[in-house]
Amino acid sequence: MQHKRPHSICILGFLTVVEHPEQGLFGGYLLLNHTGRPLEFHCTAPLRPNRAQEILYGPSLGPFLYGEQIGATLVRHAKATPCAVLTDSEPALAMGEHLDVPVALVLPPDPADTFTADPEDARAHLLRLDTAHNAGPTVQPHRTGDGKLVLFDLGRHRLAVPCSCEAHRNAITDRLANLPESFDLVEPFGRIHEAISEARKGVR
Amino acid sequence: MNSAQRSSMTHGKPAKPPCPKPWPRKTPRAVLRPNVFTWQPPNPPAVKSLDLRASQVALSQSLVLEAFRQAVLPLPVAVTSEALELARPRAVAVRIAAPRVRVRGFSFAPPERPEMSGAVPDCNSAASTQPTPPTLAPGRGGTRIRPPHDIVKLEDRLHYVLQPPLEHLLAERALHFPFRPFPYQFEGVAFLYPRHAAVLADEMGLGKTMQAITAIRLLMRCGELRTVLLVCPKPLVTNWQREFAQWAPEISVMAIEGDRARRAWQWRLPDVPVRIANYELLCRDRELLESGAVAAQGESPLSSDGEGPVVPTQFDLVLLDEAQRVKNRSGATSQVVRSIRRRRSWALTGTPVENTTEDLVGIFEFLVPGFLAPDLKPRRMGRAVRDYVLRRTKDRVLADLPPKLFRDANLELTPEQRETYQRAEDEGVVRLSSLGGELTIQHVFELILRLKQICNFDPVSGTSSKLERLAADLEEVADSGRKAIVFSQWVGSLDRLAKQLHRFGPLEYHGKIPPKHRDAVIERFRSDPSRHVLLMSYGAGGVGLNLQFAGYVFLFDRWWNPAVEDQAINRAHRIGADGPITVTRFLTLDTIEERIDFILQEKRELFDTIFSDTTGGRKPRLSQDELFGLFELRMPSGDNPAAA
Repeated sequence: MQHKRPHSICILGFLTVVEHPEQGLFGGYLLLNHTGRPLEFHCTAPLRPNRAQEILYGPSLGPFLYGEQIGATLVRHAKATPCAVLTDSEPALAMGEHLDVPVALVLPPDPADTFTADPEDARAHLLRLDTAHNAGPTVQPHRTGDGKLVLFDLGRHRLAVPCSCEAHRNAITDRLANLPESFDLVEPFGRIHEAISEARKGVR
Repeated sequence: MNSAQRSSMTHGKPAKPPCPKPWPRKTPRAVLRPNVFTWQPPNPPAVKSLDLRASQVALSQSLVLEAFRQAVLPLPVAVTSEALELARPRAVAVRIAAPRVRVRGFSFAPPERPEMSGAVPDCNSAASTQPTPPTLAPGRGGTRIRPPHDIVKLEDRLHYVLQPPLEHLLAERALHFPFRPFPYQFEGVAFLYPRHAAVLADEMGLGKTMQAITAIRLLMRCGELRTVLLVCPKPLVTNWQREFAQWAPEISVMAIEGDRARRAWQWRLPDVPVRIANYELLCRDRELLESGAVAAQGESPLSSDGEGPVVPTQFDLVLLDEAQRVKNRSGATSQVVRSIRRRRSWALTGTPVENTTEDLVGIFEFLVPGFLAPDLKPRRMGRAVRDYVLRRTKDRVLADLPPKLFRDANLELTPEQRETYQRAEDEGVVRLSSLGGELTIQHVFELILRLKQICNFDPVSGTSSKLERLAADLEEVADSGRKAIVFSQWVGSLDRLAKQLHRFGPLEYHGKIPPKHRDAVIERFRSDPSRHVLLMSYGAGGVGLNLQFAGYVFLFDRWWNPAVEDQAINRAHRIGADGPITVTRFLTLDTIEERIDFILQEKRELFDTIFSDTTGGRKPRLSQDELFGLFELRMPSGDNPAAA
C-alpha cells in the first residue's frame, strides 16, 4: 500500500476535463507542492459515452462522467493525497461525493480585479481611496441563482462548493490558509490542458 | 356437470326456485353489469401493460346475448367465466455498464536546490534592496516553458510542460533583476532553458546577453548546469563580465587570459562556474582543450606539471557569442569549438546568415553536427531550423523603442574625385581585361577597394563630397548637444576624418587602438560632453558595444554585407535609447558603391527568405560572377566560390 502524505504538507490537486470533439473526454489531474512545482500528473485515455448512456443518464451524465468516473478515478490513482482538489469544471464537483477530500470549483478571475496584483499595471490606474474595509473576506459566502453552489473568496481567488457539500468550504479555507499569496489557483489548469494536448498526440 | 345442472347454478350456488309471474309480465330491463375481466401480468411494471378493452367488448357482446336469452327465459341465468390467457410481452434489457477509465500516471522528483560552488550566495540577502522578482496576477498565464521537438518521450516533454510559468520559477528562486525584463526576454529565456541546441538570433540590441545569462542562472539554480564555457570575440570579454555582474552577481566568472602557463592554470581550476574565452585564445589553447576531451573518454591525462586534468572533462554548456565566427566549417575556430565536449550547445548571433546559407550550416555543425545539408534550399532550410532558432526583430517586440530613421545621402563626387575615379576605373578595367586567363578574384577586389577609397577621399586633392556633407550634419548634432558614431571600413579614412573634424572632439575606436584602451575611449565618449563624434571601424566596433546614448549613426562607406551594417547601426539603436536614431547612409552616385548597394539589397532578401515567411528565393550569394559583373567582365573558367 502506498504511503499517503499527511494533510499538513500542503499538496494541491488540480483536476480538469477536456472535451475533444472527435476523441471524447480527457481527464487530467495535477498534484503540486506549495511552490507550484509538479509532483504527479495523471491523465485518462479518451472516454466517450455511448448513445444509450446519453439518453438514459440525461442531465446526470455530466456529473457521472466528469465527477464519478473521471474525477474520482484520477484522484484515487494518485500516490499522494492532496489537502484539497480544485477543478475548473462544474460537473466534476460531483467527485466530492465519492472522495474523502474536499473539492471546490475555481472560478475565473474577475478581469476588473487583476490589475491591482501587478505593480506595473497598477501605476497606470487611478486608485480610489475610501474608508478602510473590514478585515476578512470581501464577499460573504452566498449561493448562486440556481441554488446549486456556494460561492466564497479565498484571498484573491473566487471558489465555489456544491450546496450539498457546504462543509468543504471551511475545510478548504483552513487547509489553504498558508498558501503563498502569489500562488495562482487558475494557472495550473493551463498546464493540464497543455499536458493533455501532449498526451493526446499519442492517442491519434 | 351437465348443462341443466350448470344452468341451475349461479356462481356455484344452488338456484332458488323461480317465482311465477303473471303473463303478460313486464319485460325486465336488461341491466347489464358485465363482469369486467382484468388481467394483470405476472410482473406488473415489466415492460408493457396490456390493453384489454377489445377483449371486454367481445365479452360484452356475448353477455348481451345472454341477457337477451334471460329476458326470454326464466331468470336467474347463470354466467360462466372463462380465464383468458395472453402472450407474455417480450422484455428488452439495455445494459448501462459504467465506462472503464484507463489512467496513465507520471511522477516528478522534487526540485533540487544544489549548492553553487564558487558562486556568491547573496541573492537572497540582497532581496530587500533589489526590485522584486516578477509576479503575475491570477489568470494571466505567464511565460510557459515548452519542450523542443527533439524531446520525444512523453514523460520528458511533460517535465517541461508541467513546470510553472517562468515568472513563478524566477520568483520562487528569488532571482532578482536590476531592471524588469521585457516579456519577449522572458520568452527568450523560456526558449533557451529546455534546449540542448539553440540559436538565439534576435536582432541586435534586444538583449541576447541578458537572456542567455538569465537562462544560465536559472539552470544553475536547478542543478542542471555547473560548468559553462562562454566564447566571444576578444573585445567583448569585459562586456560579458560586466553583464554577468549586473544580471547574475552571485555567479563567479573567470576570463581566460594571460600567458600559456597562466591559461593552463585557469583551465585547470576547479569550481569555476563560468569561464570566458575569446575565439583567438581558444585556437591557441587547442592542444589543452583536446587533451581534456581525451580525458572525457576515460583517460585521465595530467597537465605538463602533473597537477591534474587540464580542463574539465565536459562542459555542461558551451555558449558561442557572435557565433557567425564559426560559419566556416573548415576553419580552425570552428574545429576547435566543435571538439569541446559539452552537453548543451547554444549560439548567440544577430546575423546567422551573413552571406550565404553556408553560414547557417557552419553554425549548426557546432550545434547539431550533420543536421543541415549545405544544398538545402533557403525556404526548406528555414523550416528545418525553425525549432532551433529564435529570431525577433525590434519592430515586432519593442513597440516602445524609438524609431530608426534612415536617410540615404546619395552624393555626387566632387569634380576632382570624379576625374580620379574615372581614370582609375578605366585603367583598372583595361588592366583586368588584359589579364585574360590570369584574371583572378583578387585582381577584382583590388580594383573595388581602390575605387571605394576614391569615393571616400580623392587621394590627389584630398577633397570628399562625403566629408562635406558629414561636417554639415555634425554641426547640427553638436549644436543640439547630441553624439554621433561614424563607421568606415578603413582606418585611413577614419584618420583623415579625425583631422578634418577636430572641432567636434572626435574619438577613435578601431584596430589600431590597443584593446586595453578601448573601454576608456567608450567611457570618455559617453561622459565627456565635448566629445560629439566617435569614429569606429566596422571590424572593431560592430559587435557587443552598448552606445545607445548616441542618437546619430553615419555609414561613411558601405560594408560587404548588410548584416555587418545592421550590427553597427544597432550599437546605438538598442534598449535604453532615449530618442529616435537617425542613420545616414552615404552613397556616391554612378560609382561602384551604387552597384554594391544593389547586391546588398538582394542579400537582405535572402535573410528574409530563411527567417521569415516572406517570399523570396533570390540569388543566395555574392558570387564571383557578381563581382566580375560589377565591371561587366566575364569570369574566367574555374570554380565559383563565395567571394565575401
